[in-house]
Amino acid sequence: MAGPIPITNRVRELREQHGPMTQAELGELIGVTRQTVAAIEKRQYSPSLESAFRISRVFSIPIDQVFSWET
Amino acid sequence: MPFREKSAWTMLAALLSCSLLYLAQITSMSSALGELARPTIPIVIFYTVILVIVAIIGHIAIAIFVPKEANASVDERERKIFDRATHLSGYVFTIGVVLSLVFYLISYNGDMFFYTVLGSLIIGQLTEYCSQIYFYRAGA
Repeated sequence: MAGPIPITNRVRELREQHGPMTQAELGELIGVTRQTVAAIEKRQYSPSLESAFRISRVFSIPIDQVFSWET
Repeated sequence: MPFREKSAWTMLAALLSCSLLYLAQITSMSSALGELARPTIPIVIFYTVILVIVAIIGHIAIAIFVPKEANASVDERERKIFDRATHLSGYVFTIGVVLSLVFYLISYNGDMFFYTVLGSLIIGQLTEYCSQIYFYRAGA
């Protein structure tokens, strides 16, 4: 299996701060499955730009505060 | 496990079982005849119908357990998984068909040509289901 993608994210942290919100709830809000949210959090899957923007809108913060390039 | 991964497992098991049963029948018929048994429409239809019935029953069974997931539309990651799996299976099927054509040009055996093309189709589909499962497990 390939290693983690080079984009880090704070999805899990933000989800826990908001509620906590479940992966299924976030998935429903942005139009993906619970498994896709889990894959994003584990850095196994890089979401589309549209989904990345949807996630940032759910948490009401700029996209660069959710996703960042691993340095 | 997502609904569509369960679906891939169901199809993998159904296709593999039906293919092995078909292979066993053709092998036993060929042994009895002393030569390769000719492909016949009733036997092919019989195993196709069995495959369709097993697939329908399997999908109904998994949909009963996760009705919400069964009704959900395919998301962006799943679309990518299906595209990659279909791409791989296309290669496998094409290589199988090309090899079958080469084999036909050497042997001029039409019955064997049918079986090798059918085998390529089955192996291509099995590759698709296996790669779907692999990509689901790998995350993307």
